[in-house]
Amino acid sequence: MSSLAVRELYRTISKTKGHLVQSREIATTCVCPYLFKMCYPFGVPPGEQDYLIANTVHDIMSLAMPTTILHNWQQDPTNFENLARSIDRDSSAIVEKAIQDAKDVANREGKTIPTYFEYDVQDRFHGLLIGISKKLMKKYSRPKRAITEITITNVKKFQEGRIDAFLEFDDDCYGLIDWKTNDIDKFKGSGIDKWQLIANFLLANYRYTGNEDNWSKCLFGSVVFYENAYFPRLPLKQEKIDKVKYDRKFAHDVLCGGSPYTQKPAFCPVCDREGESSSDCHFYREDSRMSGQGTLPPNYASIRRHLIKRRYLVLDERSETHKHKFVISNMIERLGESIALQELEKSDVVYSGFRLGSTHENLITLVREVSDNPITFLEPSKVVRIIGKEDSRPLLGCINEKGFVKDATESKLVVSLDKKIYADRAKEQLLDFPIVIIRDENNLTRRTLEPMHRFHRLAADLMLPRRFFDNN
Amino acid sequence: MTLHLDEEQLRILNWRVDNKDIGAVVGPPGCGKTTVGSGLAVKIIAEGLAKRVLLVAYTNAAANEFGWEFYNILGPAAEKMCIRTGNPTGVDPLLPITFNRSADTLLEKRIIISTNLSLKKLPPIRFDNMIIDEAGVERLEHLLWPFWFGVDREVQNEHREKAAAEIDDLMELISRCGAVATVVGDPKQSRPISPVRTDYSAIEWVMKRKRSDMLRISHRLPDMLSGLVNEFANYGGLKSAPEIAPRRLTLDYMPDVEYRQVIQPDEVVTWVDINGVEQPKGPTSWANDLEAKGCAKICNHLVHLTRKSIVVVTRFTAQKQIIRYYLQRMGLESIKVTTTTGALGTQADVVLFSLVRNNPERNVGAAGTLQDLNVAISRSKEKLIIIGNFDMMINGWTSASSPSHRKSPARNLARLIDCKYGSIVQPPHILRD
Repeated sequence: MSSLAVRELYRTISKTKGHLVQSREIATTCVCPYLFKMCYPFGVPPGEQDYLIANTVHDIMSLAMPTTILHNWQQDPTNFENLARSIDRDSSAIVEKAIQDAKDVANREGKTIPTYFEYDVQDRFHGLLIGISKKLMKKYSRPKRAITEITITNVKKFQEGRIDAFLEFDDDCYGLIDWKTNDIDKFKGSGIDKWQLIANFLLANYRYTGNEDNWSKCLFGSVVFYENAYFPRLPLKQEKIDKVKYDRKFAHDVLCGGSPYTQKPAFCPVCDREGESSSDCHFYREDSRMSGQGTLPPNYASIRRHLIKRRYLVLDERSETHKHKFVISNMIERLGESIALQELEKSDVVYSGFRLGSTHENLITLVREVSDNPITFLEPSKVVRIIGKEDSRPLLGCINEKGFVKDATESKLVVSLDKKIYADRAKEQLLDFPIVIIRDENNLTRRTLEPMHRFHRLAADLMLPRRFFDNN
Repeated sequence: MTLHLDEEQLRILNWRVDNKDIGAVVGPPGCGKTTVGSGLAVKIIAEGLAKRVLLVAYTNAAANEFGWEFYNILGPAAEKMCIRTGNPTGVDPLLPITFNRSADTLLEKRIIISTNLSLKKLPPIRFDNMIIDEAGVERLEHLLWPFWFGVDREVQNEHREKAAAEIDDLMELISRCGAVATVVGDPKQSRPISPVRTDYSAIEWVMKRKRSDMLRISHRLPDMLSGLVNEFANYGGLKSAPEIAPRRLTLDYMPDVEYRQVIQPDEVVTWVDINGVEQPKGPTSWANDLEAKGCAKICNHLVHLTRKSIVVVTRFTAQKQIIRYYLQRMGLESIKVTTTTGALGTQADVVLFSLVRNNPERNVGAAGTLQDLNVAISRSKEKLIIIGNFDMMINGWTSASSPSHRKSPARNLARLIDCKYGSIVQPPHILRD
């Protein structure tokens, strides 16, 4: 297959829609399909909750898990509280760095740092350590390896997701972990986090076996929360897996511009508790119903149509950015990974042969022998996914980090990551692997959709008599 | 305060100051769109017509350009009046205007400069007037964030009763809600990237529904180039400023014999009819090695003849990379090489334009679109050198224009240069291998 054939493949794929559904979006759909539609296509913004503390705890866990937690792992510890304290002590440098990183970013972005920020971060981190030592360590022996924050893309199933952590055991068995760092509440096994865990199981199976329905390597899955952990009973009930798959298809159909049948569940935690978005949800349901009945005033209906059409254009634009993942997957399936990577490299779709050279603050330097093709498409400011190519794992399921190119020469690539702690994580996780670079993207879709939502509501507010939406 | 405007810029400035609605200003190449936008903001604030003005651009480069323009107009006072916000990584570190994202600091300033997609992070404040640049490359939905910051809740409530019957489209809705904005751009220089090929740009959308006006005096292009650009893009009256019109390339030394035809200083536009071979590169890009080498050799010779600024423009990223590679090998890293998309807002004394495409089917592809060709031929202040196969362009077609379509932009450009505005020369021996 020549590079022209790769271009032909691009052209063919460009005629189809390459949407990917995120695990979180699948979980949202599982809770209520209307909640998903609020995000896409309608563009209702998420709540104003500040995730500074939660994100910082996530950052700490992502580096502590493969280092201090793994080193201190004891099966069935006699005193889990002492063990958690010991890990806490060993992790103090990581915690300090993550807190400083978060403060730097917050200051740079003009964000307010909560009063008890440091205390809250340390408290939640300690809570998660208790959860791990009390529950996970009690049940499982020390894993061979822990890897964190991996984006897995299964293009055949149109799914993508970011996994908080994998614990790897003998015989390629894995444990899947999701941290719950938003608050210190007790986890309720029925909500969005449970569905997200199931959606992530499908991606994990894909990573470890190449098939999302092959559960042979799955040892456990867990949502670790403050001072405890939740384990769904395995094997999972088939009806739950089917629901996740059904809702994944629903979400994909919606993104592609279809109109799959949408049913409000018997209980929706947002609308039935009158949560933040319930007014928007009610509005869009009524709006769609009246549009279907043809009872909207024609001038309002015209603006509405216009705004909805533009929203789908924005979604289509998003799907364009995923096309190269479909090309890579398609080529690997046709030619096998090794030949496909060579061909893709000739066509500048992937760049291989790199190794992690050094890290400095939030920069990582990747080096390679001068290649035959000295011209590179990797230019400063391009967003890239840095993949550590693991043996017997699909390329888009391997460990990875995301960053943007700072500098590129024939033999060296400097990539800037968002935070200094991510560079440490990259060093920890990618050091031993040959590195493949593919293009990636920042998702600005919701940001582009939001003003359309605002004007849609404004149009309704001005142009429709109050009786149309009497619940608002 | 220093603000020098020509009569066209002054006319448009006064119109926009008096007009309390949304309007479009079309600015052909070199007509001072950013100057008018910045001048308008300063005038509105200075005359007390608005409490706060928002300046928005699609790219960080253009937002930074606004900052520099304010500094040129206001001097050190710019620091007191203006603030740059948005994504810190995109801010020019040399910009003499403070960058900040905190709500309190933003509220203290009268003129706020931001990129479009960073507006979401602004605190909920209303702007009495907005200036939106680069609206040729934006789509409708990109205008909605700035417009949202112009919505006046009080006006909106006043119109509630009448609105239901009178508003018939989104633009009218936005206008009725009190948004006052000047949308600046040029649909003939840039197209939005859209999944729908025939999609309107944001400025076209405004021009269809609201009053628009056009700047017509170029302060960049000498007479031959403004004439070429005017006819090529059909601007209907673009002309050079009198002091710019007779400008020609001046060199410190005479070119070597083999380059004399190519560089000839009295000829503003020279087309070097080189017959390189196009090669596919990357998923969708193209490159032409002979043209790339040719560009590098001409640049290398030019830097020995003059200290004037040189920019190389091409439609394709792959060609850009190859030209850059050859220039680096010659120690000419300082010469800017850019794609037509990146060239917006760029100007130089000498511009080299590499066409790249050359195939038996005569398919010019994306290299033959009006916007790309228009940008490429309108960056130069003194001399434009086009490097590429002439026959390819005069007989070329793009999927946007069928082979039988007589108004192919590529063909039109080749015809205009051949007949009226420049000369077609055969490449010297040194550029043939």
